[in-house]
Amino acid sequence: MSLTAVAIGIAIMPLAVLAGATRGRVAQWSVEVNQVEAGDSNVAPEFKAAIYENVVIELAKAKQFSAVLRSGDRSANGVSNLLILKTTVESYRPGSETKRAVTTVTGTTKLRVRTQLCTQDGQVLLERVVDGDVRFLGENLRATHNLARNVVKAIKQVTLPEPAPSNHA
Amino acid sequence: MCYESRSSKTLLRILRCLVLVSCFAASVIAQDLDQVRTASSSSVLRARAVLGLEGVAKNSTGELSIQDDALVFSRRERPTVRVPLSAIQGAFLSQEDKQVGGTPMALGRAATPYGGGRVIGLFAHKRYDFVTVEYFDSNGGVHGTIYQLNKGQGQVLANELGAKGVHVSGLRIDIAKSGVEK
Repeated sequence: MSLTAVAIGIAIMPLAVLAGATRGRVAQWSVEVNQVEAGDSNVAPEFKAAIYENVVIELAKAKQFSAVLRSGDRSANGVSNLLILKTTVESYRPGSETKRAVTTVTGTTKLRVRTQLCTQDGQVLLERVVDGDVRFLGENLRATHNLARNVVKAIKQVTLPEPAPSNHA
Repeated sequence: MCYESRSSKTLLRILRCLVLVSCFAASVIAQDLDQVRTASSSSVLRARAVLGLEGVAKNSTGELSIQDDALVFSRRERPTVRVPLSAIQGAFLSQEDKQVGGTPMALGRAATPYGGGRVIGLFAHKRYDFVTVEYFDSNGGVHGTIYQLNKGQGQVLANELGAKGVHVSGLRIDIAKSGVEK
């Protein structure tokens, strides 16, 4: 019985070490989330704030980065391997929860943003247009939650480069 | 005799209906008056911190007030959160319709046959004020907090913040409309 357990342990160990190494490599980057820019859209300020907050929350949940910093955070000054996430709203269509409840097919809240993940020297690692909407159930602000999840999903798909060796703290 | 008893029964039924309707109307009026009274007399406002308040879970309910140059959000038996007014970058006031009753109500609406749920949805909504406050934390990081207040109370908070020198913007037309309604 104990021999079997030891054998399983030995078999699993390389996988765990590999996973740890991968996580460690990704976790060497930190990210600073910039405030959301309205662009040419007439996005409501509460939506801008909600997108920003939800992206910060979802990035922290994803554990892709060693630190998730807010825009203007002074502790970002000392961080060498820092990526910057910029979000610009491209289009915003305000919906109505009541219309959704009554008609089901109308009243959709739609958001579309352009998200950019850049290094400190301006190199763009990711540029993608991401959508977020509420079609059936939920309040209007839920669109920002869905959008933030899609932004983080897009970031997860990017293979981040190795940080510069001189930048290792 | 029989005719008389029938008519008295009908009268009783009508009376019962009238009593029910008057009770409902009285409760609705009292609720409205209560809202207006709290909005005008006290600066302690019942609010829901929808999102973004540091150290507070999403959709936490509490009381919002301005004390000693700080915007204070206090909850029962939980630590209060103070945001210095000097750290507030700006505040924005808006209004939005929301369905009442949450998930149980949504499920009830979905289960109601013959499209009854849609009719319920048509009436089961309420207008709320939303106040978005952008502020810097002690580290300089930007936060965006969204508070949900009862209709009319957002204006009270906006006025108080404005009087303290905070830049407030937002739906002036809607504010004027709500003022007319009162």
